[in-house]
Amino acid sequence: MTLVLVVDDDQDLAEMLGIVLNGAGIDVDLVGRGDEALEAFRNNPPDLVLLDVMLPGLDGIEVCKQIRAESMVPIVMLSAKGDTHDVVRGLEAGADDYMVKPFRHQTELVARIRTRLRKTNTDITGLLKISDLSIDFNAHEVSRAGKVITLTRLEFDLLVALAREPGRVFSRDALLGEVWGYRHSTDTRLVNVHVQRLRAKIEQDPEHPEIVLTVRGVGYKAGNQSK
Amino acid sequence: MGLMSNRLRTSLALRVLLSTIVLSSAVIWLSGSILNSRVAAGVKQVNLDSAVNEARSTIVGARYRLILAKSGSPKKIDELIGEIVSSATTIGARASGRELVLLRGPLVNPVEKDFTTTSNLVDPKSLPDEFREKVRSTSELNWSYITIKYAGSLQVPAIAVGDMVSIPRSGKYEMYLLFPLTNQNKTLNLISRSIILVDVALIFLIGLITWLVARQVVRPVREAARVAEQFTSGDLNQRMQVTRKDEIATLGVSFNEMAASIQQQIMRLENLSRVQQRFVSDVSHELRTPLTTLRMASEVIHSSRSSFDPQIARSAELLIGNIDRFERLLEDLLEVSRFDAEVAVLEPVDFNLISLINGCIDDLELVAKENGTQIIFNPYSENLSINADARRVERILRNLLNNAIDHADSKPINVQVEYNDNDVAVAVRDHGIGIDESSLLRIFDRFWRADPSRSRIRGGTGLGLSIALEDARLHEGELEVWGRPNQGAHFVLTLPRVAGNHIESRLIRLEPKDLKI
Repeated sequence: MTLVLVVDDDQDLAEMLGIVLNGAGIDVDLVGRGDEALEAFRNNPPDLVLLDVMLPGLDGIEVCKQIRAESMVPIVMLSAKGDTHDVVRGLEAGADDYMVKPFRHQTELVARIRTRLRKTNTDITGLLKISDLSIDFNAHEVSRAGKVITLTRLEFDLLVALAREPGRVFSRDALLGEVWGYRHSTDTRLVNVHVQRLRAKIEQDPEHPEIVLTVRGVGYKAGNQSK
Repeated sequence: MGLMSNRLRTSLALRVLLSTIVLSSAVIWLSGSILNSRVAAGVKQVNLDSAVNEARSTIVGARYRLILAKSGSPKKIDELIGEIVSSATTIGARASGRELVLLRGPLVNPVEKDFTTTSNLVDPKSLPDEFREKVRSTSELNWSYITIKYAGSLQVPAIAVGDMVSIPRSGKYEMYLLFPLTNQNKTLNLISRSIILVDVALIFLIGLITWLVARQVVRPVREAARVAEQFTSGDLNQRMQVTRKDEIATLGVSFNEMAASIQQQIMRLENLSRVQQRFVSDVSHELRTPLTTLRMASEVIHSSRSSFDPQIARSAELLIGNIDRFERLLEDLLEVSRFDAEVAVLEPVDFNLISLINGCIDDLELVAKENGTQIIFNPYSENLSINADARRVERILRNLLNNAIDHADSKPINVQVEYNDNDVAVAVRDHGIGIDESSLLRIFDRFWRADPSRSRIRGGTGLGLSIALEDARLHEGELEVWGRPNQGAHFVLTLPRVAGNHIESRLIRLEPKDLKI
């Protein structure tokens, strides 16, 4: 059964999250303090982490960095602040997605978690080469010249979404739907921040990207396909 | 001239200088001319007195000698007269020395020898007839100012003093002594020239002193004005320098006290409003976590409402609906507090405005239908790229459309877009109940209702339009409204096509074209 680690200091909310997720067939581990999160994570590795930003003991952003340092597990931040600054900070710390309290719909929470948990692109198998990168769908790995590049699942999904149809221009809204599972466009900053992170990992020179290209005013596309 | 009068209006020192010069010139001119006339009168009197005295002694002496020569021959008498003339005058000293004129009076035996004579060829006509008449008719010394006319054209102003003398065996003669005023006039000219020179020098010095004094007074005033100006323009730390203890320093001290008090007040108010905004923002944030729990709980209850009895099921619906409303209100409050705290920032992206509008209309189509209206939008093209904060533009449009739906009165709503290179305008026109004039002024006010007796429709927060206006202004754009009772309303949003620019035009006239007069 799927396990989600919920790190939130508000007991009522944590309990409610537990009820909702349990109802969707997901197991929940609850932690109330930031400084206890990493230990709980290690003791019982979850499939996904729901992480509040404001936490006693240790800031959610810090917790996010710690977990990211040792795992590529999907992390969804829960924030009471919709302000750009906090959102971007969370994403830069390694979060895959964020939800601003109060969540729009209970179903949306579950849907987003499911999107983050699903196995990627089961319809494609084998190898895909783009520029000097090779994407191994079976092993869920990306490598350059035999060296494996560690990507989070979301980064992998983002790269695959673009690389599957090289040359096609994806709008940010389209990527939000495809990779994050949003039905309504909400925040395209999510895309921007993750593209930056992905580039930092896979591009030779992130300032002059060759794999994930920006199409001004529209979105992104994958460039330089080579079989 | 215009420049001068402008300088006069703007420079206190110049004005003081000019008025001082004008006033002191008048005083100096007056005193100078009094001095001049007093001195001139004195000089003239002295000259006159000495002329009369000299003439008297000469005439009396001549009379005496002529009486003594009573028995002398005409030749002797002639010699005597020549002597008298030469002793009384200076030969050849024309125009500067005394002259003597001896003229034969009336009632003289014509056969006798005529001793008429003038020194230095003075024309006897120099002596006016009235004066001669007066000398002849009185038995005393007479004087008059005359002009000596020499043979040739030389004329010299002079004092003439005359009386009668008798020449033996010839009769009565008028004897005149003429004293030229050349030297006196030279003196008087010198005096008046000196007075004028002194006057001019005085005026110049007074001007100089005034200028220096005025500058001394004006400089600190000017400094005070500069400080006050900077203070007004927002630099609340500006203070006047107080080094002395004069009136200007008193002004400085008072100004500084006032400035300090204003600064304190402003800081207090700023602090107060910061605390208040902070509080609103904190409250909104703190409310979010319990609201999330509430929402999830209500959704869990709501999802199993089919197993409840109708009253509880309806309660679950009301619960979830009002949590929605509560949440929207909270969202709007938070946004308003961001505007108040001036921390709202624009996040411009390039996007297609037409598809954004179409998206909003699609989302609201159902609501419009429920309210018996529809939204009509026929853009010229399907693509209009602008650079703006898409979230805010969408929010403005949603607010305008929602507002139009609420007030459409089952009549269709028109959406119109116009653009040029710099600006883009979107208008939302409804033909419903409209807005009266007094309401137009307040329509963007927070929590304001056009008609308090009307209930809030569809749970609007009452902040929508005021947030829309703030969103428009954040883009350096404008949101304007037109409305008339029973003729609907017309909201026109004008934005620059690229964020950071200013709008240059109004592409859609505020008064709608379809208006029936």
